[in-house]
Amino acid sequence: MAIHVPERHAPSAAPRTRSRRSTSRDDRKRPQPGRIPGQRWYTPYLFPIPALILFGIFFAWPAVTAIQLSFFKWDAVSQPIFVGLDNFARLASDGRFWTGLGNSMLFLVGMFPLLVVIPLLLAVLVNQRLPGIKTFRMLYYLPVVTSMVAVGVAWEYVFNQQGVLNWILTGFGILDQPIQYLLDPVWALPALVLVEGWKSMGVFMMIYLAGLQTIPTNLYEAAKVDGASAWHRLRHITVPLIVPYLAVTLTMEMLEAMQVFTSVYVMTQGGPQDSTLTLGYYIWSAAFQKYDMGYASAMGLVLWLLLILMALANYRITKGRTVMT
Amino acid sequence: MTPKLAFRLRRAGMYVLLTAIALVFVGPFLILLSAAFKPAGQAVFSFPPDIIPRPPVLTWVKEAWTTIPYLSYLFNSVIYVGVMVPVYIVVSALCAYPLAQMNFRGKNLIFFAILSTMFLPGEVMLLPRFLVVSQLGMADSYAGVILPGLLSAFGIFLIRQTFAGVPREVIDAARTDGCHELRIFWHVMLPAARPTLAILGIFGFISVWNSFIWPMVVLKDSAMYPIALGISYLAGVTGTDVRSLAAGTVISILPVVIFFMIMQRHVLEGMRGAVKG
Repeated sequence: MAIHVPERHAPSAAPRTRSRRSTSRDDRKRPQPGRIPGQRWYTPYLFPIPALILFGIFFAWPAVTAIQLSFFKWDAVSQPIFVGLDNFARLASDGRFWTGLGNSMLFLVGMFPLLVVIPLLLAVLVNQRLPGIKTFRMLYYLPVVTSMVAVGVAWEYVFNQQGVLNWILTGFGILDQPIQYLLDPVWALPALVLVEGWKSMGVFMMIYLAGLQTIPTNLYEAAKVDGASAWHRLRHITVPLIVPYLAVTLTMEMLEAMQVFTSVYVMTQGGPQDSTLTLGYYIWSAAFQKYDMGYASAMGLVLWLLLILMALANYRITKGRTVMT
Repeated sequence: MTPKLAFRLRRAGMYVLLTAIALVFVGPFLILLSAAFKPAGQAVFSFPPDIIPRPPVLTWVKEAWTTIPYLSYLFNSVIYVGVMVPVYIVVSALCAYPLAQMNFRGKNLIFFAILSTMFLPGEVMLLPRFLVVSQLGMADSYAGVILPGLLSAFGIFLIRQTFAGVPREVIDAARTDGCHELRIFWHVMLPAARPTLAILGIFGFISVWNSFIWPMVVLKDSAMYPIALGISYLAGVTGTDVRSLAAGTVISILPVVIFFMIMQRHVLEGMRGAVKG
């Protein structure tokens, strides 16, 4: 019997670029265990039962419900009325839906530098050997730990008319007049992007950090001996070897940006003038404020489809070079 | 300039940079903290901002504490965390064991079915899941809050990775000794995965403590609110002084921040397990 070498303990110089497919091929190569005394054929099926029950009730069943509902008009009280594809037709002519989609896309674009680019630089920064570096890592991670409600309250003190941001910007003469960021249709969305990015940066930094720590230090030492500058080392060693982690952060950024809800709920409720109305918030308000269940489901399915397409596109772009699985 | 001096200068510059960035991350919390303890006479917003409360007062903490039933919200959160985190870890680990260490038909199907839940957007599932929960008669109950949160693809994934690293020989030896699978699971696999379970405990604690949307949707009765939802209620109470809102927020995040600080040394390890195959 072959010894199964735990991969995570095996140090390797090469970046982990193996795809999901090759991993499962390895599994197949592993010799099948013989009949295990006392183990019945059904034993492996017993353990996942609780998980599968939960999966069935809280994922599969709701998914089917959502698909069903999207063909009905239903206010959650009276009998659902079958309307065919009306809900989807309504989407096409609903200006607010397109506003929501547009705003979600703006989140996607706006959060890209905040979640995919800057965290890599942060990770490089806190990957140094310095006394007290762990404290800094923890401080950068702090917003992740706290709830969006608390974060929203904290940031209102920053965005307030007499808040810190205005103080800095007017103090340096960048602004003549303080801005009410959350009440201004131009600035409310960028302000929320900033809050969402700030809140999640720590997670993305940690993912990169985990990746950086798999890069052997002798690569950097060799490059230093050859006279490569810090920029060159980042460009030619760090970035290429971090690509599998980039695939993970990119997917996570997409999922997160397209689902922005809590910050909108806590800080702006979609306003002013729908400038922060995201798809997530619009779906929520259609369902739980207007009780327009069928329409909310139809929008939910569209968002779902969008997310799947994005994940697939990302998988193609990064050629499946993800470290997940 | 001697090399030693250059080294020291560069290091000092590094600390200045690290501290400046740290201020960006911690700053909003510092403002919150200062507002929570400022006396009535001292403006919360001012040019230039003055952060240090003179003298620090507990008035607002007391006011926040009495405006909403903090203790019962905290108690609810403790219940949610106390029930959800251990159960979710056991459910995940149970599911992960055969996926990591046994060969059977349908293994990949089960794995990908559960993995696919990672891609189901939360907002999309909110409504249909709420409908299912009400059909089951669990709306407006602790069960309605707790049960849907017990399955986590992330947890199963992470534990599977760890379990796969337990040598077959150890398990086979236990089997030859006549150990049945459940005992192997409990006495061999779980102890072997202790660091992973710790990190899942941390993440679970944080996410349950901060959970807000789902309880808001499921619960009508505010008596069952977790603390994160409770303070949003405080924010909605008209005439609440910004200071007492700040104080209330500080009270709500303190437990989770303290918990995280105690446990944080596990975090990087967990991240490494999560994204490495």
